[in-house]
Parts: sequence; C-alpha cells; structure tokens
Amino acid sequence: MRTHKLFENNSHTWLMFGRDEEKPNEIIDTNQYMVISNKNALLMDPGGIELFSAMLSVVIKQLPADKVTHLFASHQDPDIISSLGLWDQALPSATLHSPWIWESFIKHFGMNNISYSAIPDEGSSLKIDQVTLDFIPAHYLHSSGNFNVYDAEAKILMSGDIGAALECVDAPLFVDNFDEHISKMKMFHQRWMPSNRAKNDWISRVRKLNIEMMCPQHGRIFKGDDVKRFLDWFEALEVGIIAKST
Amino acid sequence: MSELSNNYFISAAEIAAKLDKTTRIAQQLSLTASNARAVALRAGERAAGFRPLTDFIDRLAEVTIKSSKNINKLAAALSQTSVDKERANSAISHFNAIFIKANDSKFIHSLDEVFERCQHKQKQLENSYKRQISYLSEELVMLSSELRNAVILATLSRVEASQAGEQYQSALTNVADNVEGAANKIREHIRYAQQMVSILEQH
Ligand SMILES: [Fe+2]
Ligand SMILES: [Fe+2]
Repeated sequence: MRTHKLFENNSHTWLMFGRDEEKPNEIIDTNQYMVISNKNALLMDPGGIELFSAMLSVVIKQLPADKVTHLFASHQDPDIISSLGLWDQALPSATLHSPWIWESFIKHFGMNNISYSAIPDEGSSLKIDQVTLDFIPAHYLHSSGNFNVYDAEAKILMSGDIGAALECVDAPLFVDNFDEHISKMKMFHQRWMPSNRAKNDWISRVRKLNIEMMCPQHGRIFKGDDVKRFLDWFEALEVGIIAKST
Repeated sequence: MSELSNNYFISAAEIAAKLDKTTRIAQQLSLTASNARAVALRAGERAAGFRPLTDFIDRLAEVTIKSSKNINKLAAALSQTSVDKERANSAISHFNAIFIKANDSKFIHSLDEVFERCQHKQKQLENSYKRQISYLSEELVMLSSELRNAVILATLSRVEASQAGEQYQSALTNVADNVEGAANKIREHIRYAQQMVSILEQH
C-alpha cells in the first residue's frame, strides 16, 4: 500500500493510500483518503476487509491510531466499508459519517463500539479542529444514498465512485491524457450509474465549486483542467444503460 | 451421520440443528402419552395396570421436552459464542499481521491498548465457550439417563398390554413401541451431539 501526500498547509494534510501491490487479484483496487488536522483525522472510504491490515499499517506510520476519530463511508458498498467490523475493534471511540439510508445496512458489517452519525439527504458539514469539510449530496451516483467530501480550502473533492476508472494497480496517480482515460471510465459510469437527472443535477452543483483536484475511489485523480474536462464529458454521457464497452 | 466440519463454529451450529430435532421427537412422545391414556380408558378394567404407566409416559415426555428445549437454547448460545470467538480470533490475527508488517512504524504502540482489549475480549469468549460446553455436556448426560427409564417403561407397558385382551393389545403394544422408538432416536441424537461436543472441547 502506497501513501501520497496530496495537499498540506498549516491546518491540515490530505493523504491518499492506494495502489496496493499485495491485494488479491480478484478484488478491485481502491483509493483511500485521509485528512489529518491538528489533533484528529478523518479516514474516507476505508475499504474492504481484505485491505484492513495494509490500511491500518500505513495509517499508523502517519499518526497514532486513536487520532483517527472520524470515518466516512460515501455509501454502503463492500469495497467502501466492509472492513468496518475490524475498524470497530481498532478505533472503538471513532464516529462513522455515512448516509442515513444505509445506517441499518452498514451495521451488518459489525459495529459495536463506533458511533454512527447519519448524514441527511441534503448533506452536512464536519468541522475537525480548524478544518471544515462538506458532505456534498451525490445520490444515485451510483448508490441511491451517496456523498462526496469537499474541502474548500484545499480545493479537493473526494468524489467516491464518480470519476472511477478500472485500471491496473501500477497505474499512474494522476490522469495525464484525458482522452485516453475515457475508455477506462465509460462503461463503469454507464453501467453503474442509473440516473441522468441525478447526474446533471450533481454536475450543475459541482461546477460552482472551486476544485483543484477531484479524487475518485478507483483509478486516477483529475487535476486542474481535467476536472472541467471530466464534468463536460460526464454531462454529455448517457448513463443508466447497458452498452457494449468500446 | 455427517462428518464433523473442520470449522468449530460450523460444528456448533450443526449441534444446534441436530438437537432441534429432539424437541420435535419429544413432542411426539407427548402425543403418544395422550394416545395411551385414551386407549387405556377405552379398555377399562382390563387395562387397569396400564393406566398408571400413562402418567409415567406423560412425565417422561414432559421432562424430555423441557430438557431438550433447554439443550437447544444452550446449543444455540454455544453456536453464537463460537461465531463471536471466531470474529475475535480474526481481529487478533489481523492485529498480529500489522505488528509484523508495521513493527517499525512510529506509532505502532498506539495499537497496544486496543490490542489488549481484543485479547481480553477473546479470553472472555474463550471462557464462556468452555462454560457453555460443560453446561451442554451436563444437560446431555442428564437427559440421556432420564431416557433410560423409557426402556423400563416400554417393557412394563408390553407386559400390561398382553393382559389387556386381544382388542386393545396391539394398540397398547404400539404405545410401548413408540415410547421406546422415540427414546432411542433421541438418545442417538444425544450420542452424536456428545461426540461433537467432545471434539469441540479440544478447541
Ligand atoms: Fe460503489
Ligand atoms: Fe467503489
């Protein structure tokens, strides 16, 4: 599991964990993100049960485990949060922020110690130390209860499955050629995302945000102009269809 | 009889499933008892010796139902504990992997406290697992010895049946057969459960 620093100022740091060479081949590669503030940290989409040891190992290289006081699960998928039962042992006093509609589902992964903070449909924000993070609604993209995390100061949008690409574990971190990247994203967005209306609504809201980096849960990060390129491409894409991938 | 699974928590579930059948057989025994009473009533004076036996069959059925319900509860609890134990073991082995993988990490000791908690939890589960197994064994032994009375009851019932006259003899012999059959089936389940429990004791 590799660690990359995406952003740093005097109030907080953004880290990305991913490209895990040791993960079994049959499971999809995932990116995990963490915001570290002065005394606390938020771990976003901590990943599947298969990833737990690797994840906790890299986390404690950065900070003491009990500093991870917040977890975030954008939605209920196993690649997002099936490790919960083990985090529940490792971080007994942490809080998990996740869509309200998934509360009684996500708890099936095992949650006896961690507390659940249900995010309402319209979104909410979380203040950890000096840092404010916004939970931006991204419902039906793809999950019917789904949020992104936006950091206005760092200009980072953690976009979950939006912008996800299916690639190999040694793929570069950032999109370097947008047009070439399309083929790795197209089928995923068409097949997994059910609603054009939800998609266009999300695009119109996200266009108003100042975004320097858009960070998906799979594949590569979009930087600078590639963020706008992605939004334009996504706007023109028809989703909710089963099409042969080309 | 099926082979024991190599996963102890699956074996515990199998015990629970197997013993669930004993309750149903015990309920049949209770039906046999009321059936016996009806026949004995109809046979009147000629089955006078049989009538007190129906009370014993009734009592046996009652004791068996109560005990097998209790055994079921114990087996289900054991099954739950063994799943919890398995989960605690899995957490411990994940932590152990991290202690190896990240032993040079600056903050590796920040896991000491939660690891201790996990170990403590595991120890607790280990203890209740052992306790539940011994309760279950004791209860199985008790029911098994209770059912030994069924053989005596069946023998006595056959003797009395032979004196009840041709008209009722076969019905009453049938009662005796049912008592013996039910008791044997339950004892067979118990023996199987005891075998599995003794294997579980080694985990
Ligand atoms: Fe997903
Ligand atoms: Fe995903």
